[in-house]
Amino acid sequence: MHPALQGLLTIVIGVGACLAYFWASNQILDKVLFPAKGPNAGRNINRASMIRPWLFLFPALFALTLYLAYPVLETLRLSLTDRRMGGAWAGFDNYSQMFSEAKFWEAMRNNMLWLVVVPALSTAFGLIVAQLTDRLRWGNVAKSLIFMPMAISFVGASVIWKLVYDARPPGTEQIGVLNAIYVFFTGGEPQQWLTIPLWNNFFLMVVLIWIQTGFAMVILSAALRGIPEETVEAAIVDGAGPFQIFFKIKVPQIYPTIMVVWTTITLVVLKIFDIVFAMTNGQWGTQVLANYMFDKLFRANDWGVGSASAIIIMVLVTPILVWNVVQARREMR
Amino acid sequence: MKTSLYAGVALCTLGAGAAHAEDLTVFGPWLGPDQEMVETVLDAFAEQSGHNVSYVGSDSFEQQILVDAEAGSAPNVSVFPQPGLAADMASRGFLTPLGQDVADWVAENYAAGQSWVDLGTYAGPDGEDHLYGFFYKVDVKSLVWYVPENFEDAGYEVPETLEELKALTDQMVEDGETPWCIGLGSGGATGWPATDWVEDMMLRTQSPEDYDAWVSNDLKFNDPKVVGAIEEFGWFIEDDRVAGGRGAVASTDFRDSPKGLFASPPQCYLHHQASFIPAFFPEGTEVGLDADFFYFPAYAEKDLGTPVLGAGTLWAITNENQAAHDLIAWLETPEAHEIWMGLKGFLTPHKGVDPEAFSDPTLRKMNEILLGATTFRFDGSDLMPGGVGAGSFWTGMVDYAGGESAEAVATEIQESWDALK
Repeated sequence: MHPALQGLLTIVIGVGACLAYFWASNQILDKVLFPAKGPNAGRNINRASMIRPWLFLFPALFALTLYLAYPVLETLRLSLTDRRMGGAWAGFDNYSQMFSEAKFWEAMRNNMLWLVVVPALSTAFGLIVAQLTDRLRWGNVAKSLIFMPMAISFVGASVIWKLVYDARPPGTEQIGVLNAIYVFFTGGEPQQWLTIPLWNNFFLMVVLIWIQTGFAMVILSAALRGIPEETVEAAIVDGAGPFQIFFKIKVPQIYPTIMVVWTTITLVVLKIFDIVFAMTNGQWGTQVLANYMFDKLFRANDWGVGSASAIIIMVLVTPILVWNVVQARREMR
Repeated sequence: MKTSLYAGVALCTLGAGAAHAEDLTVFGPWLGPDQEMVETVLDAFAEQSGHNVSYVGSDSFEQQILVDAEAGSAPNVSVFPQPGLAADMASRGFLTPLGQDVADWVAENYAAGQSWVDLGTYAGPDGEDHLYGFFYKVDVKSLVWYVPENFEDAGYEVPETLEELKALTDQMVEDGETPWCIGLGSGGATGWPATDWVEDMMLRTQSPEDYDAWVSNDLKFNDPKVVGAIEEFGWFIEDDRVAGGRGAVASTDFRDSPKGLFASPPQCYLHHQASFIPAFFPEGTEVGLDADFFYFPAYAEKDLGTPVLGAGTLWAITNENQAAHDLIAWLETPEAHEIWMGLKGFLTPHKGVDPEAFSDPTLRKMNEILLGATTFRFDGSDLMPGGVGAGSFWTGMVDYAGGESAEAVATEIQESWDALK
């Protein structure tokens, strides 16, 4: 069968099955289990409406269990077994092996570094751009330019920046922008930016900041627009300067939004994989947790340590995720 | 006699297939044009055997095959780009032994046959050694590329031994020329071209047994034998001998490096790289005419024969049925090799094929190197654990080119290997 036809058929069957599920399950509930007639009509209607929400929730709950809860539990189980011993119980061996590896701690250190730098700078740049372009006539053009990297995949962005960092042998034309500038101004030798210890981490972070600034800007500029004009006018009347207005009037009012942006980017950072994978593959001290996990799972073929590191990532993400949701809900109120 | 034997094998296959045609799935790493080529080969098999053959390619073969095997839905035949994973899967019972007759056939009909048998032989779940992998489609790495015109102009001769190669290098320096273009840059994989150098040097300074011990770490990475091989490579990247000087080696991209051969005046005269490198020659370069290659020679005085370093794909049965065995049997026929030889990018150690089947003379010449091998060894870094072969070995070579001592670099790599255990 033609793939397009297959796809269409899948959609028809899928949507049809959904409709059939809701229609049929409600029919059964109303007609068979608790019919709204006879001596118990009133009690039956109450019972049916108590069950109905669960009928509607069931598909979502089922999918969540199947695609989220089950994989988490399975990962947890795998992290306590050993592939090489045919899946035998290994207790916490995988964890202790992982904790004794220098590469793991390098990944932890780098993740923390990313965690501190990227959300802070992305949010800060986003906020600055949002404020500066707020009243400008060509502000929207500037904003769309800054937002554009959001539309590029992480790997695509990595390729772009890899060319920016490209190094050619001394004496030849530098096609990497950074080296072209560096050689022009310092007259030194072109640098292999991505192999310079510690600093290469920051060169990688630039890519994510470049992508996420647009996201922060869009959300924060909407929040800035939402600030009541009166408060700003009152501040001007009271003689506040532009910096005071920004830091003492505007920022406190959009503080919850800043927190949501911050934590959202933090979540992205904790799961960062694509950029490191595409640019250095964790070499030269740029390993991060997700790439470490990939390394263990698919290169070393060690599901134990791979799953253990997945669990570590999950443990680190969860509290931030919870906080993020709490903040977002509070803001919506 | 041999031909009639092959015909007999093919006929048996045909007969067996016609009796009960089976579905056969083949899973491999090839996509795009390569996929079309392997499908051409498999179509020929399907036609002759009557089996229903389908090929699936993936760019993440290594990850996928293990997941599929563990999930119990492995394809019938898998094409492994490296032996390491196949050995691992064999020990866990995911592969089916090919049988002693296949092993005997390979030993007899492949150039350096025993090397190929050894490369495909692993311990099974019971701990006993069996042949699990059949090599089909291989690459040669021990090549030195040069521009014949430049050689003619300067009056240089293609060297026959490593001593002559070194003498030629010195001669070039004396003439005020730069002999070599060497580039190790390859993004996240920077450093790998140097591993090929070191492997070639290991084969030219130590016995094949030492090479095998090195790959399995029975011979420590910082053993003087290995350090010596690294230093042999170091001889070639000394300042006057390489374009841009030693400092430029690590920062030059391996894809850009060969372009120095074609500069005018030439930036260098020699370039050591595998059979795929013409893809990165300047557009319009005709191999055989504008550029050529010779076998990276061995020391005449060491008496180690003509070792060849290479890589290749091995075919293994991951889900047994008769059709899978028929396919392996069919791969023994010259026809299976000649079909792909007529296409592109295919080399074979099969001694029974007609060299005229090669679509271009360059490949034929490369294949002669392969057939002339007394020892064949697989790319060592591909056989080492990923953390070393695709990690510390690479970075170590970058450090070495950057000026660290071979001893220090080798010790560092050995430490990273110890850390894996």
